[in-house]
Amino acid sequence: MTKFEPVLTRNTRYPDSEKIATYLAHGGYETARSAVKMQPDAIIEMVKRSGLRGRGGAGFPAGVKWGFMPTDAPQKIVAVNTDEGEPGTFKDREIVERDPHSVIEGVIIAAYAVGANRAYVYIRGEFFLGVKRWIKAIADAYEQGCLGKNIFGSGFDLDMSVHRGAGAYICGEETAMIESLEGKRGSPRLKPPYPAQIGLFGLPTLVHNIETLACIPHIVGRGPEWFAGIGTAESKGPKIFSVSGHVNQPGNYELPLGISLREIIYEYAGGMRGGRALKAVIPGGASTPMLTASQVDVPMAFETLKAAGSELGTGAIVVMDETTCMVEAACRLSKFFAHESCGRCTPCRVGSVRLYEILERIRRGKGQKDDIEFILEIARGIDGNTFCPMGAALVNPARSAIQHFRDEFEYHIANQRCPVSGKPN
Amino acid sequence: MPVLEPIIELGRGLFTTLRSMFEKPVTVQYPEERKPVKPRFRGRHVLKRYENGLEKCIGCALCAAACPADAIFVESSENSDEKRFSPGERYASTYEINMLRCIYCGFCEDACPTEAIVLGDQYELSFTDRKQAIYPKDMLLEAVAASQLLTPQKTEPGKFTRSVPEMKDPQD
Amino acid sequence: MAKMVSLTIDGRPVSVSEGTLIVNAAKTIGIDVPVFCYHPKMEPVGMCRQCLVEVGRPAIDRATGQPVIENGQPKINFGPKLETACTTPVSEGMVVLSQSDKARASQKEILEFLLTSHPLDCPVCDKGGECPLQNLTMEHASPQSRFLFDEKHHAEKRVPLGDKIWLDRERCIQCARCIRFQEQVAGEPVLAFYQRGRSTDIITSSEPPFDSIFSGNTTDICPVGALTTADFRFGARPWEMKAAASICSLCPVGCNVTFNTRREAKSRARTGTTTAGGKVVIKRAMPRQNEQVNEIWICDRGRFEWHYVEREDRLEKPLVKKNGKLEKVSWKVAIEEIGNKVKGNKEEVVVLASGRLSNEDLFNLKQLADGLGGEALLYDSLPGGELTTKYGVSAGTNIGDMGAGTTILVAASDLYHEAPIWHLRVKQAAERGATLIIVNSEATRLDKYAKHLVRCEKGEAAKKVRELGAAVKDAKNLVIFFGADGSSALAEACAELVKSRAGKPNNGLVGVWPRANDQGALELGFKPAQDLQAVFEKASVVYIVGADPIGDGAIKTQNVKRKPFIIVQELFLTETAKLADVLLPAQAFTERDGSYTSGERRVQRFYPAVPALGETKADYAITALIAAELGIEVEGRSAGLVMDKLAAAVPAFADITYGKLAETTEQWPIIGRADLYYGGTSYQNSQGLGVPLGRENKKAEEGSL
Repeated sequence: MTKFEPVLTRNTRYPDSEKIATYLAHGGYETARSAVKMQPDAIIEMVKRSGLRGRGGAGFPAGVKWGFMPTDAPQKIVAVNTDEGEPGTFKDREIVERDPHSVIEGVIIAAYAVGANRAYVYIRGEFFLGVKRWIKAIADAYEQGCLGKNIFGSGFDLDMSVHRGAGAYICGEETAMIESLEGKRGSPRLKPPYPAQIGLFGLPTLVHNIETLACIPHIVGRGPEWFAGIGTAESKGPKIFSVSGHVNQPGNYELPLGISLREIIYEYAGGMRGGRALKAVIPGGASTPMLTASQVDVPMAFETLKAAGSELGTGAIVVMDETTCMVEAACRLSKFFAHESCGRCTPCRVGSVRLYEILERIRRGKGQKDDIEFILEIARGIDGNTFCPMGAALVNPARSAIQHFRDEFEYHIANQRCPVSGKPN
Repeated sequence: MPVLEPIIELGRGLFTTLRSMFEKPVTVQYPEERKPVKPRFRGRHVLKRYENGLEKCIGCALCAAACPADAIFVESSENSDEKRFSPGERYASTYEINMLRCIYCGFCEDACPTEAIVLGDQYELSFTDRKQAIYPKDMLLEAVAASQLLTPQKTEPGKFTRSVPEMKDPQD
Repeated sequence: MAKMVSLTIDGRPVSVSEGTLIVNAAKTIGIDVPVFCYHPKMEPVGMCRQCLVEVGRPAIDRATGQPVIENGQPKINFGPKLETACTTPVSEGMVVLSQSDKARASQKEILEFLLTSHPLDCPVCDKGGECPLQNLTMEHASPQSRFLFDEKHHAEKRVPLGDKIWLDRERCIQCARCIRFQEQVAGEPVLAFYQRGRSTDIITSSEPPFDSIFSGNTTDICPVGALTTADFRFGARPWEMKAAASICSLCPVGCNVTFNTRREAKSRARTGTTTAGGKVVIKRAMPRQNEQVNEIWICDRGRFEWHYVEREDRLEKPLVKKNGKLEKVSWKVAIEEIGNKVKGNKEEVVVLASGRLSNEDLFNLKQLADGLGGEALLYDSLPGGELTTKYGVSAGTNIGDMGAGTTILVAASDLYHEAPIWHLRVKQAAERGATLIIVNSEATRLDKYAKHLVRCEKGEAAKKVRELGAAVKDAKNLVIFFGADGSSALAEACAELVKSRAGKPNNGLVGVWPRANDQGALELGFKPAQDLQAVFEKASVVYIVGADPIGDGAIKTQNVKRKPFIIVQELFLTETAKLADVLLPAQAFTERDGSYTSGERRVQRFYPAVPALGETKADYAITALIAAELGIEVEGRSAGLVMDKLAAAVPAFADITYGKLAETTEQWPIIGRADLYYGGTSYQNSQGLGVPLGRENKKAEEGSL
C-alpha cells in the first residue's frame, strides 16, 4: 500500500490549521489569486475536464452544473452547503473546523467562474465550532483582501456570509437549503426551475457541498489532468471517507476514489473491533442501501457501488459486525427518517412513519406474518413517488436490510425474538 | 256403494273436528297472552345507550339518508364536556321518527355507524292523531338503568373525544 | 394566441395551449385526474402526490433532432418514475396514462397513506357527503385497511383557528390549499405550517387569529373536513340541503352565491332562540362560480351575514297607525288607507328608495312616482354617482382579464372593507401587471399592491385625481373605482379621465356604492337625495322603501317642522318604521326573485331560496298594489313581467329578459361536477351569469366572442 498524499486534508496536519496564517503559509489563496485573472470559461472548462462530481451525495458533475449557470444574469449567487446531516457523515465538519480557508478559496474561484458576487454559507446549527470557525475564517479572509471588493486587485467583488440552519436533515437538499436561507420553512422546491435558473432570492444559484468546493483550488492549481489522474473512470479525485461503527479506528480518511471497501476497513480503519466478523456495511451514509460482508471488495466509486446495488452518497462508511441485529439497525435508521421528514408530500410524511412503526413492531417481537411483504410494498409506494430524493433515501435501509438479511426478519416474526442476541428486544 | 260414500265422508269430517278438540290451540289470547317475538323481529325503534348512559346516537343523520320512506328527521348540535349527550363532538338535538311513514325495513339499523338505532320488539303502535305518530327522541331513547346516568352528563375533559367507537375488528 | 400542443391522454387526443398542465388538459376532455393539493386557481406545488400518472414523451434521435419512428408510430419513452399531472406541463406528442396499472397502483398507495392518518369520522364530519377524500376513497382505495388500529394517528379535533373557522387537526391532510389561498389569492398570509413530518399542523400567525375577510373560502377548497365554519358546524348534512341561486345583497360587487336550505324543526341556524317549527331555513351561503364577477370566491360577509333575513323581529303583517299606535290590519285596509291619503296630494308625493331594492322594485317605484307626478329619490348613493350611468364600465369588462397595460385607479375607497371581492380581484390584476394607483386619505390593505400611492387630505381626492390626469392618459385601459369623498368633484374628476374611453371594454368608472343596487337605481333614473330634511318637510306624502333615514340620522325628528304622511315598506320595525302611518311588510331578497345591477353594471338575477314569511309581499308587488289603488297601471304579477316592462322602457336595459339573465356558458376552471377535489365545494353556475349594461358596443363585440 503506497501512502496516498492527502489533498483536501493536507493542511490538517499543521497546528492551528484553521487559521489564515497557516493557510497562507502553505500556499493558500495563491490559486485563487491567479484564477481571478483567468478567463471564467477556461476555469469552467477545467472543472469539466477534471471529472469532479459533487460530494454532497448525488454525485452530479460539477462542471456541468457550472455550465448551467446563465451568463447573462446580472446577479448570481454561490451557496455553500455545510448542512451535514447524513448519519455516519462527519467529513464536512472536519473541513470546516480545520481548514475553512480551502473552501473559501474554492468559493472565490467558483464565484468568479460563474460570475457570482455573493456567496452564502449554510451550516448546520449544531456545528457550534464550525460556525465560529466559518465566521472567523470569513472575517480573516476579508481582512487579507481575499473577500470583499476588488479581490486581489482583479476588480472582482465577492461578499460572503454565514447562516445557521435550525436542525433539519432535509435542508441538506439544495432547494430546501435555499428555502431555509430565505428564511422560510425548510422544504424542497419544485424542480424545474433548477437553482441554476431560479435559486436563492430568485437569482441563479450555484449550490455546492463544501468538499466539492475544497477540490476546486487543487483542480485549478494543479490542473484538471492531475485531478482526473486520481480515481476511476467515472469517479475522479480524492475523497474523504468517514468511517464509523465497529472498527478499531473510526475517523475520516482521505483516499482516492476507487479504493476498495476492504482496504478502507481493514487497512486504514484498523480492522474490525474485537476481531469479530463483518456483517454489513453502509457505504455512503444512512440513506444508501447496505452491502453485505461478501461485497466488501467493491471499489468505492460512483459507478462500482451503483453496480453493487448501493451508492457512494457522502462516502460515510458505517461498519456493522456480527453482533448487530439488522432489524434493529433498519428500525433505528427508519426512525431517523420519519423524524426528519419535512411533511411536504404524502408518501414521505406518512410512509416514513408507517415504515418505522412496522419495523418497530417486528423488533419488539410483535411482527405479523405479512409484515415483510408489507414493508416492501410501502417502500414501493414511497420510492419514486415522493417530491424530493428523500423518498428513495428513507426506504433504502429497510429495503436493503430485507434484501440481504430477510432470514433475520423472518426469525424475528416467527420467534418473537432476535436471532443475534437471542433475546426479545 | 253410492249411498254409503257421503256418510263416510261426513264421518271423516266429524272425526277431524273431534280430533282437533284434543290438540293444543295455536291461537293466543291477545292481549292477556302474548307471544314472544323472534330474535330478528323488526318492531318499533329504540335508541341505545352506552353502559355509562351516554347516547350512542351521534346525530349523523345517516339513518335519515338511508330511510326509503323518509320517516326519520335529525338535527344535530355540538356536545361539550359540561353538557354531554354522546361521545364525540356531535349529538342529535332532534330525533324524530314518523311511525306512520316507517315501513320497518331496518335500513336505519344498517346505516347506523354506532349501532345506536335498533328495531326493537314492540309492535303495539296505535295513534289517535297523526301528530302522535311522530315519536320524538325522548320516546325513542332507551330507559336508563340503575347504574346509568341520564344525559346530558358532565364528563371528564378529553375522555369522550371520539364519535364513532373504535372498532378494532371491522368485522364486528 | 398561444401555441397549441397536441398530446394523448388515456388514448384520447387533445390539443391545448402550450404550458397547460396535464391535469388541466385532461379536465378539458372530461378525464378527472385525482388531486388534493392542486387547485386551478393556485400555483401547483405537487405536494400530495395523488395525481401521479405515467408520462411518455416521443424519443428524439440525437443526431437528427427528429422523433424516432417505430412501426410507423413515433417511439414513446416512458420515464422510470411517475410524474405529477399537476406540475408537469404538456409537450408535443406526449402520451399520458392516468389509468395504467402503475399509475392506479400509486394513486391507491397515496390514498392509503392519507387514510392511515385520517380519522374516518365521516358520520360526524360536515364535509361528509361532499368530500373529495371520501369520494376518491370510494373510487380508488382498497375496501380494507391494512394498518393496525393502535397505530392510528390522533390529533386535536376542535381547534378554533379564528372565530369563524375551526380546524380539525386529525382530518387535515396537509395539502396546504388553505395556506396557499391566503398567500396567493387573498394576499393575507395568515396561515402557516407548524412542526414537520407527521406532526405538521396548520396554525394561524396573525393577531387576531385568522385575520382575513376571505377566510370562509378555505373551507370550500379544503379537500377534507379539516376546516369548517363555526356558523354551519353540524348544521346539516350536505345531501339534505337544497340549493337556490342568489346574488349577495351586501355590496355592489354582486357576488353569485347559492343558498343551501333545509326544513328544520328546532334549530334555526345559530341566530335565534325560537324554533323553526318545520319551516325551510337557510343553512349556509356558498359561492357560485361567475368568473367575471366573483370567480369562485365570496367574502366572509357574504358567507355569514345573511342571517338578518331570518331574524325573529321581521314584520309579517301590514300595520296602520291608529291613535298613535301601529295596529295589525289586512293588506286591503292598509292599501285603502294609503289610497285615501294620497289621492288628494298626488304631486307632493316623494318616493325614497334604498339601493338594496331590486331593479324591478325600483322600476315600479319610479313608475308610481312618475304616474303621480311626484319625485323618486335614491336614499343612499355617492356624490356624483349618476355619472356612472354615462361613463360606467362597458360590457365586456372583466377585472379577471386585466393585467399589464391596464391602469386601475382606486380613489377614496377602501375596497377591502367596502367591496372585498373587488379588493381581491384588483390585487390579482395588479399582480398580473396592471398599474394600480391608489388615492386615499387613509391606509388600506390594497396599498401594498399599488404602484403609485397618493395620500391626500379628506375631501382632496378630486384634486389629486385631476393631478394624475396626464399620468394615466396613455394607459391602454383605465378603470376607476371611486368612493365617497365629500362632494361630487371626485366623481367628476374621475369621469373626466375616462370620458374619451366611453364604450370600450375594461374602461370606465365603477362606483363603490354603499348598497347592492345603487347602480341599478341610478340607471333607472332615480335622483340621489340631497337635503332629506327639506324634502321631508316639503312633501305631504313620503313613501320610504327599505331605507331608515331616521335611524341613520339623516333626518332629525326633533327638527321636523311638518310631518308628512309616511308610508314605510320594510323588513323590520326600524326607527323610521316606528314613525310610519302605514307600515308594509316586504319580503327579503331570499324569499322572492328579482335582479340587481352590480357596480360593474352587470344585471344579475336572484331566485327565491325560502318561502315568504307570513303575509309579506315582494316590494314590486306592493308598489303595484298601491299604484292600482291610485289608478296607475304598474305591473306586479311577477318579477319577470316587470323586467319585460323595464326592458321596454329603459334603453340601457333593452332586450334583457329573465331568460337571458339565466343563461350560462361553460367557464374555466370547470368546477362543481363529480370531481369535487378539483375546484372545491363552490357551486357550478347553472342559473345565470347575468347580462352587462352598456352594450351600445356589444353588438359588434358579439361577433368576435
